[in-house]
Amino acid sequence: MRAIILCKLGIKVIKTVIEEIIAIPQITKVMSLTGDYDLLAEIEVETSEELYEIFSEKIDLIDGIIASNTHVVMKAWEK
Amino acid sequence: MSSSEVRLEIKNKYILNIIVANLLWSFIPIVATGLFDDVSILTIIFLRFLIAGVVLLITSILIVILNNYLVPEKRIPLKELFTNLRHKNRRFYNLRTYNYYFLIGFFGIILHILFYFLALKTTSIPFAMIGTLLTIIFIALYEKGVNYEKFDVFRILFILMLTFSIIIILFVSFQGANLSGSPIETRGFIYLVLYAVTGSFLYISIERDSFSKKELKDINRNKYYKIPRALIKMSIAFVTGVIILVPLSYVFTLLPFETDITLEMISFLNDLSSLGIILIRWEIIYLIIFATILPYFLIFLANVNWKSTNLTYSQWSSILGLIDPINTLIFSVILVNAFFPYEYLIIVVVLLVITIVFRYAHEIKNVVHAVVFLKLKKGFLKPLSLKILRFYGVRYIDTLIGRYDIMLNIKLNSFRDFNYLINRKLKPMEGIDEIEVHFIDKIEKN
Repeated sequence: MRAIILCKLGIKVIKTVIEEIIAIPQITKVMSLTGDYDLLAEIEVETSEELYEIFSEKIDLIDGIIASNTHVVMKAWEK
Repeated sequence: MSSSEVRLEIKNKYILNIIVANLLWSFIPIVATGLFDDVSILTIIFLRFLIAGVVLLITSILIVILNNYLVPEKRIPLKELFTNLRHKNRRFYNLRTYNYYFLIGFFGIILHILFYFLALKTTSIPFAMIGTLLTIIFIALYEKGVNYEKFDVFRILFILMLTFSIIIILFVSFQGANLSGSPIETRGFIYLVLYAVTGSFLYISIERDSFSKKELKDINRNKYYKIPRALIKMSIAFVTGVIILVPLSYVFTLLPFETDITLEMISFLNDLSSLGIILIRWEIIYLIIFATILPYFLIFLANVNWKSTNLTYSQWSSILGLIDPINTLIFSVILVNAFFPYEYLIIVVVLLVITIVFRYAHEIKNVVHAVVFLKLKKGFLKPLSLKILRFYGVRYIDTLIGRYDIMLNIKLNSFRDFNYLINRKLKPMEGIDEIEVHFIDKIEKN
């Protein structure tokens, strides 16, 4: 199961937030963005339980993340 | 400092495929010039591309059969590989795919190689390399003229480096021609320019392939669908291009005037009776296996498996394409004693290596990488996903549950293309409620 987490960050915290997010093993991809959101993280987990555990115990506790928006990926199409 | 910290890591091992393919191609002029005294240029082209085309076609069919036997749940429909050739290529004047492949084959490959070999035969190996460098300049000018891309500092610098290299090669070639007593003729220049023009056509048009909806479904069922597809593409390009040579030869021999091409065609028609003997020459075997089948297979594998955090396959391919003339220059001096004093050779090689660095900087600077989130109207998720995936620059699509319905990952070479995709393609589409663009500054983990 894959999910996409969009994060809004506070000022002067981008570097530390990225370091903490990268350190989470289930996070497979991290991109810094320009726009309404500052960061996009992709997470790969086995179940929605695991997603909840990682989110509530790790991501939600990172100082500097002001708001987040999580999307579960239903299907991926590539070419 | 541990060894792992200082170890140079190649993140994308498929870059090596492009390098090896270019190294194999770089020996073509050295090997081919050994044939020019006994065999017609057209015979070389005919044998090389006909046999390589047939082998690539058989290989693609074998790959499909093997895949369907080993992984029946990810079947590649063989029939569809061929019926999909009827799909209209929206990125190339709406021509049917087989017509598009034929045009690439005849104008981009067969005529391109014909003018290359004629330039090699009437001038020298180092001189013919000017054609390759001119091709890069022509493509840069085309992108400026047609795509209205800005001439950034790196593009100006790499064109300058190429121009200096061309001037040095010209100077050395004339010096060599004077010493040997065989001057470089005007027709050599004409062949060189024609070689560069057809080469530019090849590089510009080969990137304009497009997938049909059916093919996108096949690719998402089995990503290796792209390998037999690419092999069939080249096979059709080679075989159709080469088959046209035979009737064209007869037509040329009937013309009232004589050119190099007429002579080559008469010689080609004479060679047809002894093709078997010519075929077993090591030079022909090298050209078929090591300069055609193997390098194309390597680049198709690279294209299919490409995973890059910065540049696309085609960007790396065009950057590393300079390895070919660099290697040809070096080995033409070492192996066949082409006239090129070492001091000039070193200067040209250094200039071309700097060109690679500037091209890389230019591509990195111009790449537009973004994620675009779409909110869709009810009932549009399935039909729009595949339709949007077909757009140029869209690398992959994730369909989502949450605030947005679709996330597009986009990589393009210019803001003009990006603007076109957002404002001309996505915004007018029925079913899209909201579009949110985020540019990717940096990939922190992948």
